[in-house]
Amino acid sequence: MRARSARAVINSSASHVFDVLRFICAWPAPLGVTDISRQLKLPASTVYRALITLEEADYIRRHRNTPRFELAPTPHLLNRALFSRFELHRASRPHLRSLAQATGETVSLWARLGWFALRVGGAFGSRDVYHRARLGETRLLHDGAAASVILAGLSEADLASYRSFVDTHFPERRPDAGWAAEAGELRLIEARGFATSALRMAPGFDAVAIPVRDETGRPVASITVDGPMLRSGAVALDPRALQARDDLEALVAHDPAAFLSPFAHIPADEILIRTPSASEAETDGAA
Amino acid sequence: MVATVNSATEETGDRGQNKATARILAVLSVFASDAVGYGVTELSNQLGMTKNMVYRALTTLVDQGYLVRDPTGQRYQLGFRVLELQNENTSEPDFRELCAPYVDKVFQLTGESVSLMVRAGDYAVFIDGVETRRPGTYRTQIGALRPLYANASGRVMLAFSSDEEISDYISRQSPMRLPASTRQLPPDTLWTQLRDIRKLGYARMLRPGALPMLAVACPIWDMDRRLHGVLATGGPNERFAAELDRVMPQLLATIDELCHRTQLYAADTQQWEMQ
Repeated sequence: MRARSARAVINSSASHVFDVLRFICAWPAPLGVTDISRQLKLPASTVYRALITLEEADYIRRHRNTPRFELAPTPHLLNRALFSRFELHRASRPHLRSLAQATGETVSLWARLGWFALRVGGAFGSRDVYHRARLGETRLLHDGAAASVILAGLSEADLASYRSFVDTHFPERRPDAGWAAEAGELRLIEARGFATSALRMAPGFDAVAIPVRDETGRPVASITVDGPMLRSGAVALDPRALQARDDLEALVAHDPAAFLSPFAHIPADEILIRTPSASEAETDGAA
Repeated sequence: MVATVNSATEETGDRGQNKATARILAVLSVFASDAVGYGVTELSNQLGMTKNMVYRALTTLVDQGYLVRDPTGQRYQLGFRVLELQNENTSEPDFRELCAPYVDKVFQLTGESVSLMVRAGDYAVFIDGVETRRPGTYRTQIGALRPLYANASGRVMLAFSSDEEISDYISRQSPMRLPASTRQLPPDTLWTQLRDIRKLGYARMLRPGALPMLAVACPIWDMDRRLHGVLATGGPNERFAAELDRVMPQLLATIDELCHRTQLYAADTQQWEMQ
């Protein structure tokens, strides 16, 4: 009884600390005690203690000697460590780099993680105007071309589970046109073999996503090329992107176990991630 | 019972931080490495905490979703909820930032000057360092260049280049005049030293002169086993030799810990790859 009470106290203190940390992660600018205390409805003394604990442990740091805090290197390192657990993160690097060099466009690799797509690799193109895309971005599987092209290759049973996952955990993210229309879009994507989404700041050009499949034909990842690979409305894909896809599929087929998601032993329904990118509407249109 | 609860809530550090939570964060920080996973005993040894403390921290971290048990259930791995601990408006730490706490750790360990250098063409350039206040010390001037052959750090950079690159370098640089001396470094001597560095995995060099100086320089690797840079420490041989023998195992363990972090990045990430 005594031990349980003590543990409950420790857990509540830890959970405040993680609440504060996640809040700093989700906010676009550095934050001070008062902002956090007001937003999280926690006493200022609790927030202050949480901030000091996080600062001492190198999870946050002061923003340019102001009383405001921003992320320190440790959370970045934890994310890098997580990416390194995806074999695709390492194995795709030379392929992505040569595709970016050959086409001059920014390319990304998204891996399936439960009902999400996670950007685990990428190389910037040679153009000097580009989107500062970053690794670690997560998307629900119907959100955007990179994710939809993975969703489109899943079985009917998986699609049904996915819909109920979104309905339960992200009701605000259900497709505007409804699931029936979404299913039609997905069939189109699967038949065509790629998905596109309009590129921001590049009118008339699309980002193209193509699936990377395992030996059973199920998509495990997708490659996106964020550039004028394809004029809107065109139907032929750049052969260099298809070559990169073939190279990655050959790697996966050669050693399927190595390329399993590090969370393959956890049911997809239990993988719940709430990042700003996964839970807020994006401006670019899907598929 | 009240006493038990108070002892848990009021266990605070100098600045009012909660020690139990600090331990939880310390356990999670260990996973910021390229290692696949950890068991309770391993963490307890690495952190100097009791197994019970480690187990309690692990339980909280699994509850929170920051760690998961591996398929065997015996070991712990990073959980997917770590993905929530990012902010797209903060930039990734660069190499100097990754090394900064370790530059301090090595300084605390040896008490001698510490330098962090990266390669810039045929030179090594100081990007960070600490100078000891003790008499007789290496200078670590940020931004200063040294020819690669001229100090231990530069020689480590050469040693882990290909033989062909080294030969080309030597022919470009010959004659290799040694700093603060009229002597030249014969190519054969350099080759012998570079082979020794490759064999040992780091450089341990004694520079003769009026005040013989002893330095040790360690390569810092990236994810492709290429050099990010070199971390070095050193001082007068008379003072540092015995000290170095004493702290060498700890020094190598510290560098190893740093490499587990730098190996999460590619050395030229800034240029090409997404972060």
